[in-house]
Amino acid sequence: MFRTAMNTALLGLTLLAAGSAPVASADEDEASSCLRTKVWDSYGDGWAVRTLTSTELTNGKTRSYLVSLYAENEYRIATCGDENVKNLDVLLYDTKGNIVQRDDTEDREPLLEFRPPATGTYYVVLYLREPVEGADKAGAAMAVVYR
Amino acid sequence: MFTHCLLSLLLACSGGEGPTEPAPAPAPAKEAPKANPETPEVDVEKMKKEADEIALVPSPVETQKALEGSGVDTQLATLIPKHQFDLAADNVDHAAVRTGVVLADVLLTVKTAKKGVLVKRVEAVRTGMNQLKGGKDIDLTLVDIKDRLEAEAVTRDDLLKEFDELSGAVIPELEFNGKSRVVPLIEAGSWLEGSNLVARAVKKAGKKEAAEKLLKAPTVVDYFLEYVRTDGSDKAPEAVTKKLEESLLELKTVAEKTEPLSDDDIDTVIRVTNAVLALL
Repeated sequence: MFRTAMNTALLGLTLLAAGSAPVASADEDEASSCLRTKVWDSYGDGWAVRTLTSTELTNGKTRSYLVSLYAENEYRIATCGDENVKNLDVLLYDTKGNIVQRDDTEDREPLLEFRPPATGTYYVVLYLREPVEGADKAGAAMAVVYR
Repeated sequence: MFTHCLLSLLLACSGGEGPTEPAPAPAPAKEAPKANPETPEVDVEKMKKEADEIALVPSPVETQKALEGSGVDTQLATLIPKHQFDLAADNVDHAAVRTGVVLADVLLTVKTAKKGVLVKRVEAVRTGMNQLKGGKDIDLTLVDIKDRLEAEAVTRDDLLKEFDELSGAVIPELEFNGKSRVVPLIEAGSWLEGSNLVARAVKKAGKKEAAEKLLKAPTVVDYFLEYVRTDGSDKAPEAVTKKLEESLLELKTVAEKTEPLSDDDIDTVIRVTNAVLALL
């Protein structure tokens, strides 16, 4: 009962986001849906969402996001790629362009966990390192969650 | 006779069409696509200009968590004043900042506020969203939330998740009739309310060292200033916009300090944020 009500609410919000976003390709929707489920499930472990967004990436290209992070909090940068992704990478840079942390997995749902040593501004970079054969573009979603 | 037979055989083997064409050269093997480098080439200046700012501003609940981590256990929700907002003011800047403030109040109090108080706040968010032309879907969602809240058909934990998602994923993607500064101004309202409450909590707890981690956010202030300074035919009367810009500039001065924040700095944050909130 509890779960059903929650899922209904989530579905409504998902439809709302999909229906109202300026441009949401089917691929971005797939990535967002995957990530939304992950983020929603992580609430049980004390995580909460700051931002959840999606984008389209071209093979070998990046998309960067400016984020401010508090020293006292623990953060996760969670991602999901659509079925066109073979290897999606996520990297965290400081404002001088140094890599602070990066994922070393070869998959389409990389995750970073980070506890900032000081409150500050960083860049989250999504990188379509390898699409599946025959694909040049892919949808990807990124969420900043904290606890 | 034998020669004739041999000649016939040769002609039969050759198909009778003279010498054969040379076989075409085999197609060159398809080149494997070049692998992308392990680390993307990143130009910091380009990244600064092109980075998406959708994830820049922390949520009020996130700020509350950081406050607790800094040793200040005051619940921000307990410091929220009884705002006397002008809900009829519907010019974009005014409505956006006010809606952001109320949204922050909802997020901070969703688990603890009395039902009637929370319903009024949800209704105020709805009024703002309609004034900002947020669209039919967000209106229906807020009505649905309000109905479930009134009927006690939703847990407060679930409501917090729904408002987190509204605030962090749904509202930032809304078009607001093509007005790009609406989302940043809603965020500015939430952030101003959060900063006001944090500064008061830090002052009350006498832990100004916590302010270092929570009130020094010059990048966030710059982001808001950019949009406050954007011209638009439906900008709020100067009373709101000018005060907002002045306040943000003062907050920026505090946020950029390299030395530890003083009691005066914390008082400055309280004073300037109070001044903006009083205009709404």
